[in-house]
Amino acid sequence: MSTESAAEEGLDRDEPVVLVVDDEANVAEAYGFWLPDDYEVRTATNGEQALDAADEDVDVVLLDRHMPDLSGDDVLERLRERGLDCRVAMVTAVDPDFDIAELPFDAYLTKPVDRDEIQETVETLLELSSFGEQSRQFFAVSQKIATLESEKRASELEDNDTYQQLVARREELDADLEDAVGGMDDDDLEAAFRDL
Amino acid sequence: MSTDTEPAGAVDDESFFRALVEHGSDAIISIDADSQILFANDSVERVFGYEPAELVGEPLTVVMPERFQQAHHAAIAEYVETGERTLDWNDIELPGEHKDGHEVQLSITFEEHRWDGQRVFSGIMRDVTERVERERKLERQNEQLERFAGILSHDLRDPLNTANAQVALARQADDPTEYLDELEAIHERMSDLIEDVLTLTKQGQTVGEPTEVSLSSVAADAWQTVGSPAATLHAEEVGFVEADRQRLLSLFENLFGNAVRHGGEDVTVEVGALADGFYVEDDGPGIPEADREDVFDYGFTTDADGTGFGLNIVESIADAHGWTVDVTDAESGGARFEFTGVRRRDDEAA
Repeated sequence: MSTESAAEEGLDRDEPVVLVVDDEANVAEAYGFWLPDDYEVRTATNGEQALDAADEDVDVVLLDRHMPDLSGDDVLERLRERGLDCRVAMVTAVDPDFDIAELPFDAYLTKPVDRDEIQETVETLLELSSFGEQSRQFFAVSQKIATLESEKRASELEDNDTYQQLVARREELDADLEDAVGGMDDDDLEAAFRDL
Repeated sequence: MSTDTEPAGAVDDESFFRALVEHGSDAIISIDADSQILFANDSVERVFGYEPAELVGEPLTVVMPERFQQAHHAAIAEYVETGERTLDWNDIELPGEHKDGHEVQLSITFEEHRWDGQRVFSGIMRDVTERVERERKLERQNEQLERFAGILSHDLRDPLNTANAQVALARQADDPTEYLDELEAIHERMSDLIEDVLTLTKQGQTVGEPTEVSLSSVAADAWQTVGSPAATLHAEEVGFVEADRQRLLSLFENLFGNAVRHGGEDVTVEVGALADGFYVEDDGPGIPEADREDVFDYGFTTDADGTGFGLNIVESIADAHGWTVDVTDAESGGARFEFTGVRRRDDEAA
């Protein structure tokens, strides 16, 4: 966990580290400006730089999908392969297709984005880091479903196995969470999910 | 007609059935197992342009486009031999060939009966050309709508996002001018994009009534809009074609605009005649072989300021006229676009 390693290194675990990746430098810089001053913001303008800048300290990555050479999807795969425990939001103008079901991201934002969206997304993802694995999966699956529902026609969704599997998966996770949550503060979770 | 069973209902007069078959609105052609026409009713004239008597004794293939003839013979042979039907016998859609050579879209139902000791096959055919063309048009319009939705959702999202970023940075900057300049450029790009999408929508897939237009005069008009002072246009004695003048103007504007953008301010552009069309070529750097398949796709551009719509517009204008456009090398190594299948009117030009 990034928070543990950050604590080990004596860093303030209240100072979140956000890595912003977009091939347009100005865009990456602007997202940085939109985040609170006490956040540590790193920027990268291509996939290689992003992989270099990503380490145990990074809590949230804002990741463009469409970049030359190493695409955002590739970067995402490699971050997961390295086992970095960070939350990743894709921020992209790419129309989401059913292939997003396979991508291990936590949130999906469609450009154009503004200050509020960037701030809320990062805050939600930071909160999510303190929840368990199942809650995070539930959140990611819900994001995929919502993204596809906003993009695809109802008839397309109905006929699509990938979408139906996502819906089934969410129900499964939901039932598991109901059992597990018990006395846990369910409101926080719901509040976090309402934001996006 | 000789039949063993009594016809149902009150009518049992043979002339009734004869009239029904001969004058019904569907065309009916009967053939023997060798595909020789035994019978054709009156409606074949409306559908195929032949009088019934012209068809009797002829092979069925006279009313069939050449590309289907072999398949027809194979299918008949297969059926006669094995009884296996290679296609559905009810309401199948196939094109026929009219006496004047054009294709007619048909909905056909096949029948078989025995007559005079031989097997007789009949096709009952309805002309559905109009419906098929309507369907095709709708399909094309749907495809186009989907493309436009894609453009709006993707191609405008990206610059809008960049514009948002510029505003954020300008707010922080001591001197926001540099960000404002960039912002202005983004807005121009978005405006170009909208303009191009609108043009493309209006070009649609159909053209107005084509008239006889002079290629050199349309080329000269287009050059006025997009040519640059140092560039040269050669478009002399290229004759007349049948075209929608406005669309042809737009086609030239897009090609010339590309030539100037990629071939430089001092590019030389030539419009010339082909046997069944015309060409437009320049002495710029040309289009790499690897890109040639993609250049007509919407959104294809090698230029950061380009919208990638120019050649897409060119292609849809050519399509709407029924022309074919190909991209190749000019002798100078520049790009050469050839338009063929064009109706030329050189007699009048002489």
